[in-house]
Amino acid sequence: MHTFIIERNVPGASQLSHEDLVTIARTSNLAVESLGLPYEWVTTYVAGDKLYCLHRTDEPETVREHARRGGFPADLVAEVVAEFGPQTAGEVAA
Amino acid sequence: MERVLRTDGSASGTVVTIAGAAGAGKTSVVGAALAARPAGLRVLAARCDPLSTPRPLGPIRDVVAGIDGPASAETLLGAEADFAATVSTTPSVLVVDDAQWIDAASVEVLRFLVRRIERIPVVVVVAYRDVPIGHALLALLGDVARMESTERLTLPPLSAEAVRALVGERVGEHGVDHQAIRDLTGGNPFFVAEIARHPGQVLPTTVRDAVLSSTAGLAPAEVDALQLIATAPDVLDNRLLPYLGLDVPLLRRLESTGLLVRSPRGVAFRHELARLAVASSIEPGVDALLHLRVLDAWEQVGAGSDAVLTHHAAAGGDVERTRRYAILAAADATAAGAHTEAVAFLSLALEHLDDATAQRATLLEQLSTEQYMVSRLPAALTSIDEALRIRELLGDRDGVSVAHDRRAVVEYYSAQRREAERHADAAAAASAGPEALASAHATRAYLAYRHLDVDEARAIADAQRDRPTTGAADLRLAITEAGADLVEGRASARTRLVDAANAALSRSFDEVATTAYSNLSAFDVEHRRLDDAEAVLATSIPMTVDLDIALCRQWQTGMRSRLHLLRGRWAASAEDAAAVLDDQGAPLTAVWPHIVAALLAIRTGADTTRVEAHLASAEQIARDLDESLVTLALRSAVAEGVWHGRADDARLDDVARRLADAEQRPGTQWAVGDLRVWLARTGRGDGGPTAGLPEPYRLELDGAHADAARAWRDLGAPYDAAVAEVHARDAATAAAGLARLDALDVPATAARARAMLTARGLRALPSRPRPGTLANPSGLTNRQLDVARLVAQGLTNAELATALYISAKTADHHVSAILAKLGLSSRREIVRNAASLGLGRPGEMRDVAHVDGALGHA
Repeated sequence: MHTFIIERNVPGASQLSHEDLVTIARTSNLAVESLGLPYEWVTTYVAGDKLYCLHRTDEPETVREHARRGGFPADLVAEVVAEFGPQTAGEVAA
Repeated sequence: MERVLRTDGSASGTVVTIAGAAGAGKTSVVGAALAARPAGLRVLAARCDPLSTPRPLGPIRDVVAGIDGPASAETLLGAEADFAATVSTTPSVLVVDDAQWIDAASVEVLRFLVRRIERIPVVVVVAYRDVPIGHALLALLGDVARMESTERLTLPPLSAEAVRALVGERVGEHGVDHQAIRDLTGGNPFFVAEIARHPGQVLPTTVRDAVLSSTAGLAPAEVDALQLIATAPDVLDNRLLPYLGLDVPLLRRLESTGLLVRSPRGVAFRHELARLAVASSIEPGVDALLHLRVLDAWEQVGAGSDAVLTHHAAAGGDVERTRRYAILAAADATAAGAHTEAVAFLSLALEHLDDATAQRATLLEQLSTEQYMVSRLPAALTSIDEALRIRELLGDRDGVSVAHDRRAVVEYYSAQRREAERHADAAAAASAGPEALASAHATRAYLAYRHLDVDEARAIADAQRDRPTTGAADLRLAITEAGADLVEGRASARTRLVDAANAALSRSFDEVATTAYSNLSAFDVEHRRLDDAEAVLATSIPMTVDLDIALCRQWQTGMRSRLHLLRGRWAASAEDAAAVLDDQGAPLTAVWPHIVAALLAIRTGADTTRVEAHLASAEQIARDLDESLVTLALRSAVAEGVWHGRADDARLDDVARRLADAEQRPGTQWAVGDLRVWLARTGRGDGGPTAGLPEPYRLELDGAHADAARAWRDLGAPYDAAVAEVHARDAATAAAGLARLDALDVPATAARARAMLTARGLRALPSRPRPGTLANPSGLTNRQLDVARLVAQGLTNAELATALYISAKTADHHVSAILAKLGLSSRREIVRNAASLGLGRPGEMRDVAHVDGALGHA
């Protein structure tokens, strides 16, 4: 399984109510279940007019299929190739 | 294709039509051409779906949504201009694929676009298969066929050689020759490709088998899924997949059959024929269940179009949901101005709603209105009649009154005066509330005024005056009162009709507004204010087109045919009369075009076999309509026919009674004068007093033919002038009249006049003109008249192009044709002769106050 960042343009995303988010989450879960492939929706951040989602699956095409089934935009799908943070500074450079 | 698509978009667009049978390769040709298009050319796809009733404006909304985001093109009103503006912002190719499934409203939007195509950077590609007579698409194809710069392609079936090239030698190895494949497939590229995809197999006996052989090896659940996809018209929407249990591994196995493709909207069959083949393999009974599964899924998604939901509910045999969605789809179609589709959805809803409820009555009333909008008057009457019976059963007095009132209006448009009056009276007597009552009285007053019972009309209006309403009734009464004044020749009436029309427009009572213009133009023509009539119609006909009021458009086009007839513009007159009659609209609007068509045939001597049919049709309508102006005009036409040598006619037997009746009514003086003059010319003159007649008739009946002719020329009526002259006692006037008839290009009238004058012993008649030597404005079409008027104002080709939404090249082409018809050699000569050619300043409504003096004729 690979991890993907998905950028979705949703005008007014920051104004979505909790009720809206519940509806979207249910639709997304249903889309995940319907794929018939290994798939995990990790989490989503709402920022400005965009949603940034973290998903785990084998192929980027499956991420797009999830978006199609949910009726979501998927303006950018990018594989996460590394993760680092403050603690990385203390690690030995390869 | 490639050549046409490689326009840089800067100069002008074009239209490409591609016709071919299903599977002929239309979509492939378009796809190949698009792939080869120059950079910077945007592609807009307008998809048409095979729904039993199409989505109103579906393809237009798809395109607009693709550009603008959703929520545009909700209604047809203004959608044409909005759409044209939206698509022409950027050089684009607009592809309308599967146009045989297009809806009527979208056709109107595309016609608007196509009429301006030479001035916008858009290539419109329309791919379609043959459509039946009466299909909405034919109007668009007709427009395209008449245009100068279009490409029309027809994709023929493949030859046996082409089949060989496609399938290669593989099939041949098994002893099946290419001719056999061609015979089996009819040369259809899709079928040939299907067979080529299965090398080594025995040639299938049917093309359906060829398609279905692709599904060999699928598990039952997979076949079931394939059949489920086949129930969706066009595309199975992506959002349905989670609710239909179609997961990705399953779809991949289905895609391996080669029958499916994934489009941005969903899962689709690669070809409609493949979908049909799979759909035909569904067992009886299972079909309905599959549709219901798709319908359930759409309800869970919660975003389906009502037209699509209706399609699945009806195919699924779900009565309740068919009714519910058909009602919603009808409301959408009505709001969009898509009358044909609204009729279909309302009819479907009513099939599933048989109780005598208020809801059924409401739907029937809506259906009646929509049927009227598409000129299906008998059906509109049946619908309103059933609504009326339900309202009576429910004891709904307002409803009863409204239904009677509505029926009265449709009866009147059907030219059934007596029935119209009966229902209008019933509407007024239904003890209804003030709104319904006011409307009923407005209808009664209008009917009385149209019958020229102006005192009765005024009495009804007076009685209503203290009971103002918020509806259209007060405006309708104002129009009736102004019309009554116009009938009687009162000066301010023209201005008041225009004011009432503007007031109605500002309150969105569009049909009331166009009715005001219908009445104004009718009496301007009737009372021979020809310049005013021309100015009114130049404004009001485009208004009826913009507002989509078919009845008023047909009526006013009929009035323009009569105007052109009076001005001697035979070609334009015939064009307008034919346009109304071809529409097969309301009998009320057909009566004048029938009279005009009969007179054109009588005068030119062409198409004389149709004279009697036109006169008989007009007579039948006139009898039921019972309006003096029509009744007398028809008898004038009959008498004119007799003068031209037609057999004596029983329709002239009652003229004394008809004249006596008409003379009791205001506004009939021109009709009375015309009939009396024609009767006198055929030796049936009554020698009665001439004092009350309009000047030219009075002068002729008093023997002053030359003066009568001058009066006619002052009014702009050259034919009436020339015919008056040939009846003059002095030889010089008569001979001059004959020369003028020759110049007017009315061979039958000229021949009859020549014979008459020869019989009177006149010598020195002008010699018969040689055919083809004549040049005058009588042959100009409406379009050429538009161009000629602008040329007369001194416009250049570039200015013409801007004014008329055509290219400068087309403008030049029109000007050449006009010069040829007029026998002139330069546009400067058109300017110099504008007045004598009757090409005065057109277009805008002039200040109506100046004509007040002219009303003194009355």
